[in-house]
Amino acid sequence: MYMETKPQKIFQIFNYCFLGLFGFITLYPFWYVLVASLNTGRDFMRGGVYLFPREFTWENYFYAFQDSRIYTSLSISVAKTLIGVVSSLFFTVLIAYALSVKTLPGRTFFTFFWYFTTIFGGGMIPYYMLLRDLGLTKSFWLYIFPAVYNFFNFLLIRTNFSNIPSDLRESAQIDGAGDFRILFQIYLPLSLPVLATVALFIGVGQWNDWFTGAYYQSNQDLIPAATLLRKLLNEATASSTIKVGHESSAATMQSYTSQSLQMAFVMILTMPIVVVYPFLQKYYVKGVMIGAVKG
Amino acid sequence: MNQAPARPAAGASGKSVSGRPLWRRIWQHRLLYLFLLPCMAWLLVFCYYPMYGATLAFKDYSYSLGILGSPWAGWKHFEEFVSSPEFWMVIKNTVIISGMKILFGFPAPIILALLLNEVHSGKFKRAVQTMSYLPNFVSWVVVVTLMTIVFSPYGGIVNDIRKSFGLESVFYMGRKESFYPMTVLSDIWKNAGWGSIVYLSALSGINPELYEAAVLDGAGRLKCTWHVTLPGIRETIGIMFIFAVGGILSAGFDQILLLQQPANNQISEILDTYVLKTGLNYGRFEYATAIGLFKSLFSLVVMAGANFITKKFMDVGIW
Repeated sequence: MYMETKPQKIFQIFNYCFLGLFGFITLYPFWYVLVASLNTGRDFMRGGVYLFPREFTWENYFYAFQDSRIYTSLSISVAKTLIGVVSSLFFTVLIAYALSVKTLPGRTFFTFFWYFTTIFGGGMIPYYMLLRDLGLTKSFWLYIFPAVYNFFNFLLIRTNFSNIPSDLRESAQIDGAGDFRILFQIYLPLSLPVLATVALFIGVGQWNDWFTGAYYQSNQDLIPAATLLRKLLNEATASSTIKVGHESSAATMQSYTSQSLQMAFVMILTMPIVVVYPFLQKYYVKGVMIGAVKG
Repeated sequence: MNQAPARPAAGASGKSVSGRPLWRRIWQHRLLYLFLLPCMAWLLVFCYYPMYGATLAFKDYSYSLGILGSPWAGWKHFEEFVSSPEFWMVIKNTVIISGMKILFGFPAPIILALLLNEVHSGKFKRAVQTMSYLPNFVSWVVVVTLMTIVFSPYGGIVNDIRKSFGLESVFYMGRKESFYPMTVLSDIWKNAGWGSIVYLSALSGINPELYEAAVLDGAGRLKCTWHVTLPGIRETIGIMFIFAVGGILSAGFDQILLLQQPANNQISEILDTYVLKTGLNYGRFEYATAIGLFKSLFSLVVMAGANFITKKFMDVGIW
């Protein structure tokens, strides 16, 4: 299309280099910490561990899983992710189906009633007081009930349902099928890609959420892994603020350090996402496109 | 939001298009209302009740009396906030951080999309895209932990390299001067890739004939970008700009919360973190609620301002 002139060739070379560098900078921190987490903590502190472990060891992971706080928090995270995905998907599918039926009286009103809450809210403090008064701040259900519905996820599923020809529903009704059967036997099988997208949005959101556990959860036995990571990070930063300048402190006597434990932990927290990610990328991208068009 | 053709208002005439009375249509859809019910209850409890709770901003709260029974206090809490020494600090920090994120963070995905668009090799393009989306899916806690390790003064790679050049190692995560660059760079690192999707899809919608015509008129690559590509995604840029401006006062705050240190508190305290601190740490519920309301109002004004600007100069708006 264009004439390949010399400046354009230079631009192309520059462009490839720049984008390659960008990709590298994006991925390298993950690789670096993975390598660091597989190296003994004391040796890592000497520096120079960049591409491969120098003193290879599994002990950081071993200690991470032995730490009862980490173990408990990981089980909380797994539980809240699984229960969150199932419950949220179930209820979102129901409402998306109901509001995709074009003959439903009051449909526009209900949609607006929900949309309004995305542009205006009461703020964090009244929300916290509500959670406290409901007794959720001491409960596991703090992670589930308030997160059941999400307007964006609802839009994705409803848009998909609205694209299913309504003749399909009408003829099924004539054959005597109820709404439950129509939803579960006709609509859902036709919407698997979007359901996978939404399930993943919910799952990633649950797995990553550290804020709810840190500020709304008062029972320390119920904090999820992401929140615990934040606590460990705070403790470590507080102690290293004091330690700056004294590189050979007593903490470095052990072969594993609080930092190496943290590195193993952050990798445990990242792995599920990195493993799942390449398989689901195309769904995610599609999901965002729909959101961009309809939003 | 609603792509259905507008129906006659329910109940206005009592008759639908199909001629059946409203109550019969409602009865006919009773199962669907059952599907709606849990969502309505949820909205009332978790979204609308806290809106009512926001009246706390105008009250003197006492736990035993509840929100409804507590006596009214007028604008007291707002006045206290506006006249407090923290007020200007918090406002200034919020504006500076938001401003820098808009200035550097907003163009980043556009530039990335434009550069990706110039790549002819599909494989290379897809590989870069796949890599650049990844940080969007990890939590900010993970990102900040990665940063702590990469920039650590003990064996962290950045300080290692500094040392090999004979420079002193720097405690980037705890130093006041590094706070703004760290915030902006990590924001770009995490969000630019994912943000570019929208622009890439807008770019793919540009009619190729426009480029051919431009080339026939003697335009080079730069001129094509300026006269065809950028105008082609102008609308997307405008809308994303309004959202970025409106959301930025609240959205980036878990990042700030995680990057906050005693050393940088002076320049990192923004409205949302201040609400959390006064409300949840010090238990001053009414005061914090008032600040929260102030912030909502503030972002609404800023968003309206952005809408006005894009309407005037780019002819796009969301309202």
